[in-house]
Amino acid sequence: MVINVKNLVKRYGDLIALDHFNLEVQEGEVLGLLGPNGSGKTTAINCILSLLKYDKGTIDIFDQPMTPDAYHLKRDIGIVMQNVAVFNELTVYENIDYFCGLYISDKQTRKKLVAEAIDFVGLNDFSKFYPKKLSGGLLRRLNIACGIAHQPKLIILDEPTVAVDPQSRNNILEGIQKLNQQGATIIYTSHYMEEVEQIASRIAIMDKGKIIAMGTNEELKKMIKSGEHINLELLNPGDLDLAGINALPHIISAERRDHQLVIKSERGKNNLIPILDHLKDQQIAIGKIYSEPPTLNDVFLEITGKELRD
Amino acid sequence: MQVYKAFFRIIQKNRGQILIYLVVFMVLALLLTNAYNPPQDTDFTKTRVNIAFINEDDDSQLVAGLKNYLGEYANLVDLPDDSQKLQDALFFRQVEYILRVPEGFTAAMLNGQDIQLEKTIVPDSPSNIYIDLLINKYLNTAKTYVTYLPELTQTELVSYLKTDLTKETEVTVISSDRHSDNAEKSSYYFNYLSYSLFAILILGVCSVMLVFNDTDLKRRNLCSPMRAATMNVQMIFGNISYAVLTWLVLIAASFVMYGSYMFTTNGLLLLLNSFVFTLAALSISYLIGNLVKSRGAMSAVANVFALGTSFLSGVFVPQELLGPNVLMIASFTPTYWYVKANNEIANAVSFNADTLQSIFTSMVLVLAFGIAVLGVTLVLIKQRRVEG
Repeated sequence: MVINVKNLVKRYGDLIALDHFNLEVQEGEVLGLLGPNGSGKTTAINCILSLLKYDKGTIDIFDQPMTPDAYHLKRDIGIVMQNVAVFNELTVYENIDYFCGLYISDKQTRKKLVAEAIDFVGLNDFSKFYPKKLSGGLLRRLNIACGIAHQPKLIILDEPTVAVDPQSRNNILEGIQKLNQQGATIIYTSHYMEEVEQIASRIAIMDKGKIIAMGTNEELKKMIKSGEHINLELLNPGDLDLAGINALPHIISAERRDHQLVIKSERGKNNLIPILDHLKDQQIAIGKIYSEPPTLNDVFLEITGKELRD
Repeated sequence: MQVYKAFFRIIQKNRGQILIYLVVFMVLALLLTNAYNPPQDTDFTKTRVNIAFINEDDDSQLVAGLKNYLGEYANLVDLPDDSQKLQDALFFRQVEYILRVPEGFTAAMLNGQDIQLEKTIVPDSPSNIYIDLLINKYLNTAKTYVTYLPELTQTELVSYLKTDLTKETEVTVISSDRHSDNAEKSSYYFNYLSYSLFAILILGVCSVMLVFNDTDLKRRNLCSPMRAATMNVQMIFGNISYAVLTWLVLIAASFVMYGSYMFTTNGLLLLLNSFVFTLAALSISYLIGNLVKSRGAMSAVANVFALGTSFLSGVFVPQELLGPNVLMIASFTPTYWYVKANNEIANAVSFNADTLQSIFTSMVLVLAFGIAVLGVTLVLIKQRRVEG
C-alpha cells in the first residue's frame, strides 16, 4: 500500500480540522480527494507530508511510518503545493534544477531529468524566463515541473489548477494522467468535481475533516437516490403547476428557474413521458429538452445537504 | 550544494542594490578619509622669548651665569630701568618677561638662604612658564651644589652649572617615524567600514533570508529529503562566503590607499579587527534576516541599525567627544568595541603586552557578541520549527 492513514485527528484549538480521518491509497491509482474549501484536504495532505503535527492517528507511506525525519520516504514523494512555491530569482530551468537537486545529486542524471520535466510541462520556450514573466497557467506548470522532476513514485498535487485558464487546466490534467500511465501513484485534491471526475480512478469526498464517501465515480453516483436531471426550456411557463409535477411518481424534486424547469427523478426510472403529458395538459409549450446524468455535486448534496461549492 | 548555489543566485539578482551601496560607501569613505587632516603634532620648533634682565645685585659670576644661561634660550633685550618704559615694553610686546635680580641675591644664594627673584610678565602668556622653568632649573641646580658642596667657590659653582646645564639628552620621537598620516587615515577608514559592512551585510543576508523564509518555499523545502541541518549548514556557509567576499572588497581599497602601511603590525591588526567585526556583523545580519518580513522593513532596518550603531559608537564622531551615557549604551554594541580597538591600534606606536591585551580584549568582545547573537538566532529558528 502506498498510503495508509488511520484515525487521524488534527485540532486547531476547539476546531477539529481532521476528525478520525482514514485513507488508503493503492499503488498505481489516481485518488481524487474532493471537498469544499475548508473541508480539511490541505490539512490532511500537510499531515501526510509531516509538515503538520497531528493529535492522534498513524500515517504509513510505502508501509513505513511517515515522520519529519523519514528522508528515505521523502525521496520517493513529489509534492505540488496549492500555492506556487518557486524562487522568483531563479529562471524556470534553475528552479526545476534546484528542486530536482534536493533529491538527485548526480549532475548528469539531474540534467536529463530537468530536461524531461521541462518537456513534460511544455515550458521548453520559457526555460530562461523568470517566474514573474510567466502567466498564471505557465507558473502552475512550473510548480508541477518542480514537484515531479525527480520522477517520484508518489505524487501529491494539492489543488494545482486554482486560478488557471481552461487551456492550461487541460494541459495540467492530461499531464497528470500521463504521469499515472508512467507508473506514479497520484493523490489529487480539488474542489472542482469535473477535474476529479476526469482523472481520478477513485474518489474520496471530504467534509468537516472526514471522508464521507469513497469509491469510483460510478460507485459514488450509485450511492444516491437521484438519477438523471431533466431540463426543460418552457416557452410560456406562466401557469406552471409545480406541485402537480412534484406529485408525479418517482420525482425527487422539480424546480423552476425562470423559463427553465429542472426535474430530478429517481435513479433508473424514466419519467419523461408523464412529465411531458402533464405539461401538455397545462398547455405549456416546450422549447428544448435535455437530460444530464447525476454529478458528484449531487452525491455531496444528498449526503451533506449542501452544495459542494458552498 | 543546491541551497548554497541558490544563495548566490539570489545575491546576484539583488546585486544592483548591493553594488549601489558598496560603490557609494566606498566613494564616501575615500573622500572623507582623504579630506580628514590629522593634527600636525609631530614637529617641534624652539621659540626664543624676548626678556629683559635687570640686575640690582653686584655683578657677581652667579648672576652673570644666570644671564648667559637665559641668553642661550631667550633674546635679552636691553631696557632702561624705568618703570614707565618697562610697562610700555610689556604692553607693546617688546618683551614678554622682565626679570629683576634683587640686591643681595648672590650672597643669599651662596649662604643657602631663601630669596625671591622678581618678575613682571604679560598675563596669560605661555612663554612665562618656559622662562620660569629655565630659571628654576638654573637656581635649583645651584642650590643643590651649595647645599652639598658648600666649600665650592663662585667660579667653580658657575663652571659646574655651565657644564651641567649644557648637557642635553637626545630624545628620539619614535612616533614621528611610524605614527604617520596613514595610521590616522586608515583608522578613520576602518571605522567608517563598520557602517558599510553592516549595511551591505544586512541587505544581502536579508534578501536571501526573506526568500528562504517564505512560508511556501520553506514548506516545499521541508518536503525534500535534504536534512534541515544540511540546509542550515549550506545557508551559513553561503552567508560566510558572502561576508568574506564583502570584507575582501572593502579591505582591497585600504591596500590601494595605504599601501605598505597595511603590512605593518598596525595594518595587520586593523585587518584582523575588521575581519572579527565582519563575523559579528554577519551574525547580527543573520538574526535580522530571520526577523524581518518584508523588503521595506529590510531597507529600514539596514539604514537605522547601521547608522544608529555608527553614530552611537564613534564612527562618525570620535569616541572622545561622546558623553559617558552614550558610550555606556554604545558599549552594548560590537561597533563600539570595534572602533575602540581601531583607535588603539592606530594610536599605538609600539606593541607591548598592555596595548595588545586591550586590543585583543575588544576583539574578543566583538567575537563574543557575534557568537551570542548567532546562538539566539539558532534558538529562534529551532523554536519556530518546533512551533510550526
